[in-house]
Amino acid sequence: MTMKKQRTASSVPKKTSLWKRILLNWQVYVLLLPGLIWYTIFCYMPMGGLSLAFKTYKANLGIWMSPWIGLQNYEFVFRDPDFFRALGNTVVISFCRILFQFPVPIILALLINEIRSQRYKKVLQTIYTFPHFLSWVIVASIMLNLLGNNGTVNAMLSALGMEPINFLGDEKIFRPMLYITENWKGAGWSAIIYMAAISGIDTEQYEAADIDGAGRLMKMVYITLPCIKPTIVVMFILAVGGIMNAGFDQIFNLSNPAVRDVSDILDTYIYRITFQSSADFSFSTAISLFKSVINFIFLISCDRVSKLVGENGLFA
Amino acid sequence: MKKKIKEPVSSIVGEKKVDGTLIVSYTLLTLFAIIIIVPFFNVLVISITSEGEYVRSPFVLFPAEPTFDSYRALFADGRIWIGYRTTLTILLLGLPVNMLLTVCTAYALSKADFPGKKIFMLYALFTMFFSGGIIPLYLLIKSLALTNSIWSVVMASGINTFYLIIMRNYFLSLPKELTESAKIDGANEWAILFRIILPLSTPILATITLFYAVDRWNEWFNAMIFIRDMEKTPLQLVLRSIVIDAQMIDSSVLGGSSAASESMTRFATGMKMAAVVVTMAPIMVVYPFLQKYFVKGVLVGAIKT
Repeated sequence: MTMKKQRTASSVPKKTSLWKRILLNWQVYVLLLPGLIWYTIFCYMPMGGLSLAFKTYKANLGIWMSPWIGLQNYEFVFRDPDFFRALGNTVVISFCRILFQFPVPIILALLINEIRSQRYKKVLQTIYTFPHFLSWVIVASIMLNLLGNNGTVNAMLSALGMEPINFLGDEKIFRPMLYITENWKGAGWSAIIYMAAISGIDTEQYEAADIDGAGRLMKMVYITLPCIKPTIVVMFILAVGGIMNAGFDQIFNLSNPAVRDVSDILDTYIYRITFQSSADFSFSTAISLFKSVINFIFLISCDRVSKLVGENGLFA
Repeated sequence: MKKKIKEPVSSIVGEKKVDGTLIVSYTLLTLFAIIIIVPFFNVLVISITSEGEYVRSPFVLFPAEPTFDSYRALFADGRIWIGYRTTLTILLLGLPVNMLLTVCTAYALSKADFPGKKIFMLYALFTMFFSGGIIPLYLLIKSLALTNSIWSVVMASGINTFYLIIMRNYFLSLPKELTESAKIDGANEWAILFRIILPLSTPILATITLFYAVDRWNEWFNAMIFIRDMEKTPLQLVLRSIVIDAQMIDSSVLGGSSAASESMTRFATGMKMAAVVVTMAPIMVVYPFLQKYFVKGVLVGAIKT
């Protein structure tokens, strides 16, 4: 700290008081002001609005004046079977995403790194990253056309004399379809982060391994993978910190009432009870707060654990 | 690193694995590329296939007689125009707001120690990991009397903290001497930012502008909640109503009369796919520019904050 201050002191006269330093930097604060106001209104005021979880919302009184009711909302939440169904689905889907989605970009990056032709590498990258820039509304539209009851795949199956498969309407297949379509859309983009990490690896290590006669696979497993471990750890912490999210955009656009038992997650449940059925803002805020807090706890604990076992954390 | 590598036998095994790993890599990667392309191709083909041909064989590789009937039907339908108008308005209003807020904040946060810098930094970063969720935001928008206004969507996503950090890291990487000499010459922060920093930052400005532009183009969730006026439906929600909601009606109400009669007059599937193409076309146009910039490692700095 003190070292830092001394170094920057060149532009600021030494031993200036706090007020003087604030005055000297007034232009910086002016530049900062619009952003601070925006964060305050559109991020921190809604955070304060989470207090609604302990209130009963009265439209004429607004968030701040509505009366406090303590934990009453949670008494209802924890007696609501739909809440527990959504919670269960959220946890299971998030867990499976870590299992079936998290490794895919890493594998992709490792494989792309093996490609020698720079041109082909670039072509692949261009194709892989494109779907990331499309919204889930577009991607779901494409997938419905492909996998829907009257979709292309089923038309093909029936032309081949096979039974059509209800990809998006069957409770048994719906969740795997979530992981598959998410990989289709996002794996290529996520791979970029690992590829950037790979490009930062010192080539001397590979040269040394070449002399020792190591094959491609061995270099991949013993050099590349350990070198990108810090990036993997950071991405993993972020994935765990989003455990309660489970992908609203995707599920909202791909699912239908037929698969609600396996697809209804906390976010879709909150949306439905808030904006589609009779709105009880305090009840849904209670669930929303529960969700945010669990996410935050998971993020922080995962960060701590990874630091404990000697890895970099998020804020290393 | 590991002792295994040094065993002499492994050199022979290694030689063999060179080919194996390469073949597997090329095969898997090419396969994945095909899997990504095919659905797009399928959409494009259906959008230019006539109804008669589609009914005969729904998985044509290429239509014998390509037709733009589906596109004509789509534009005659009118909803797509509302979508384009709304989304372009969101883009034109939102992009300057996004860039101005992000550039000013990122530049301020890139300055050398000023009192409170750490707190301000944390103030921005914390929002990445904790948020109030949609309900308080909705009630806030309502209390600001912004519901049914385009401004609700514009203001609700003012700064993307992730982009803010990328930009700040870029500003930090610029040589300090530039700004210091300008300061000695008596330039104020505003002049330094606009005359010295920004002209040197065109790659990052282009990248972040494109990222924001794509985000604004893909705007749907906030609009779905904040805006009820049908005349202000953004493009993505128009697409949703054409494709996804229609699908729901098809699958839930078997033989629904309204949906059936609609597809009698128009080729519904073709029109849906035309809508998909029209919605993603602008992204396809800007994509090469996006591609050009993001590979340059803008994202590397972003991961480590």
